[in-house]
Amino acid sequence: MFREVDFGEFRLTEYEYFRMKEPAYALLAMPDTGLVGVIGASHIIKVLNLKEVGGMDSYVYLPPIAVISKKEIRLPIRIFASNNLLVVYSEFMPPPQAFPILSKVLLDYFERKGVSHVLMASGLAVQNRFELDQLKTYYITTKPEVEEILKGVGAQPFENGFLVGPYALMLKEALRAEMPVTLVMTESFLEFPDPEASAKNLEALSKVIGITVDVKELIERAEAIRMRARDAMKAVMPSLTRMRKEYEYSMPLNI
Amino acid sequence: MNSDEFEKFWRRIKEIERRMLESFREEEERILRELEEVRKALTPSWSYEGYLRPLYTVRDLGNEYVLYIDLPNADQGSIDIRFKGNAILIRAKLRMKHKFSEWSGQGGETVFTEYRDVITLPFNIDPSCVSLRQRKGMIELRIRKPKRV
Repeated sequence: MFREVDFGEFRLTEYEYFRMKEPAYALLAMPDTGLVGVIGASHIIKVLNLKEVGGMDSYVYLPPIAVISKKEIRLPIRIFASNNLLVVYSEFMPPPQAFPILSKVLLDYFERKGVSHVLMASGLAVQNRFELDQLKTYYITTKPEVEEILKGVGAQPFENGFLVGPYALMLKEALRAEMPVTLVMTESFLEFPDPEASAKNLEALSKVIGITVDVKELIERAEAIRMRARDAMKAVMPSLTRMRKEYEYSMPLNI
Repeated sequence: MNSDEFEKFWRRIKEIERRMLESFREEEERILRELEEVRKALTPSWSYEGYLRPLYTVRDLGNEYVLYIDLPNADQGSIDIRFKGNAILIRAKLRMKHKFSEWSGQGGETVFTEYRDVITLPFNIDPSCVSLRQRKGMIELRIRKPKRV
């Protein structure tokens, strides 16, 4: 273990010393709509062969869980890195009361690591996902220069609506901290793992980061991924219900 | 009270009765749905007997229920859905066998060969009121509610 830092009720551990190359990007993947973010991040970690360099835990806000990965004991929120990309990945959803402190902890950590742009990946639940073949991707960004890149891959600005969950808090906190942040959302199922949406989402995200990520495997192995992700999806659904995720379906009264 | 007034009064009583019964039914459905959520959360997604329980969701659209059942890697030709009272019995063979040890250190030598589950609805299902569609390893069941649900 290289170092441990306590941030409120969260403890951040780095297993080794590492520096990010510039420009550094952070990708945050929390279990959310259709597990789009975590499936995509898991794919990036695999294809870019990212190294697990740290993790986060909270004995107050997270279930008493140890992740065992390749015989190693790991923390519930895992941190992977390579060159200029830092990926924060969790299959466990902290309770909503942990979101404000978690957002601050993460943004503080990203700043310390010299991250110049925070990216977040999520699904956007659509009721007719069963029928859809062409999935639309939307974005919300505080960094105007990425708009051209995202429009270039067919993504559209998310103009009106509600966001619920950890990404909503991250966006608000990033705005307060004046940190460039982009949320990329792709139409997906709410309650089923959606690797097809993850593939589409990754196409947009990888363009922003400036890396090439082959998503063919995600599409080809979509059914196998859905099969394996059943437990993660099942575990996250009560959290999504509790945080009133269905608000995202609502139409705002005032634009 | 003359007969017109009595008739009016009686209609009001009947209307209040109808509304109360409706809200009892809605509340009963809500409680049953919540109990079902708890049952789902506590039931493991697989069994040592070699089957997986599929993810599914139930939406109440007013005059019908729509169920989506995710059956990735299932042999589409083997999907078997039956109705018994208020229960939907689902079985589908997997295209290939999967060992639990491929995914986790738990489960020993358990080998999965099929999906199996029972989903219950708050009313008896008339199979003639059910329509089914399959797409990309997922099933959509539309079940029309009986008149008095």
